[in-house]
Amino acid sequence: MSAHSFEAFLARIYVDVGARARFKANPRGEARRAGLSDEECTALEDIDWVGLEMAARSFARKRQSNLNRRRALPLWDRLRQFLVILSKRLRFHEK
Amino acid sequence: MNTFADKVGLGWRADLAAGILSHLDRIDMLEVIADDFFDAPRRDIRALKTLASQVSVVLHGVGMGLASSVPVENERLEKMARLVEQVRPQFWSEHLAFVRGEGIEIGHLAAPPRTVDTLNGAAENLSRAAALAGSRPMMENIATLIDPPGSTLSESAWISGILASSDCDLLLDLHNVYANGLNHGYDPKIFLRQIPAARIKAIHIAGGKFISAPDGRQRLLDDHLHDVPDPVFELLEEAAALSSNSLTVILERDGAYPSMDCLLAQMRLARQALARGRARRIVAQEVFV
Repeated sequence: MSAHSFEAFLARIYVDVGARARFKANPRGEARRAGLSDEECTALEDIDWVGLEMAARSFARKRQSNLNRRRALPLWDRLRQFLVILSKRLRFHEK
Repeated sequence: MNTFADKVGLGWRADLAAGILSHLDRIDMLEVIADDFFDAPRRDIRALKTLASQVSVVLHGVGMGLASSVPVENERLEKMARLVEQVRPQFWSEHLAFVRGEGIEIGHLAAPPRTVDTLNGAAENLSRAAALAGSRPMMENIATLIDPPGSTLSESAWISGILASSDCDLLLDLHNVYANGLNHGYDPKIFLRQIPAARIKAIHIAGGKFISAPDGRQRLLDDHLHDVPDPVFELLEEAAALSSNSLTVILERDGAYPSMDCLLAQMRLARQALARGRARRIVAQEVFV
């Protein structure tokens, strides 16, 4: 069960700015509050702090980019039209 | 001469559609993001099947989160299985990553703690994925800006362990190896020798950019928005020298698209790197004999 909780804790501090700030202020306390083992608390105290901040920013940009991409999905409609035209042309040439 | 049946292809992106379709004579393979089609209307599936009838297609998943101690949801596996059945790709692939935890979506690929728990969890998830989809996925190593906390295994040992436990092959992302090597202090060429060459069946190449950390140091971000740097082509040559498998190499580009000529030129460089690696392999075998 603890491995699940550890992954969930990581997901939370990667995504939630508030949770990350609380964790930075009190790493062991926050990890313990999440029910993690002593070993896991120690691992989190030794976290790559620079990497944590950079990864969190990168994930945030990616979430925004995914959101923008979903809004631009009508591109697939343009692609479908292109493919239909292309396949018709290919069939024409085969004849 | 490269006598292996190596193939060089490109990641399918709607923005590149016209350029790709008018240069299919120089593109051996297209890699399509599977998740874009999981809930797609039938007309989009028909368009994808039309594409697959004209050029070899592989499906690439990004959202399953298979490398986790948490069992992947059946619904996600079933969607991939359904798409594999409909499209009949050359192969399908996913990432050695976790992407969510207790309902929190990270929104991208995150490196899990490299432990026996996540190794066993990944093997279990991959076994279920293979059973449902009817074929094993190739699994891709990911780039990570953070050294995953709580890890007890090296990246190479963890990847090798998952491949051995799951009997899956490796989709080796060379820019991810290059970025992790720079960011976390290991030699990418030594890393290539630590993973099982016999498992390498496909390769990703891409580019990224250096970003500054608060302490002023830099780390390499794998953003797929830049051209493939020379060290990645050097790693491709190394991989081709190490592997006895025919390799499928895919160039990934997710935005800031250059001209099609520029992408084709990078694919040409990939073919040249493969040829150099294969030539080295042949010479090495002759010396050994």
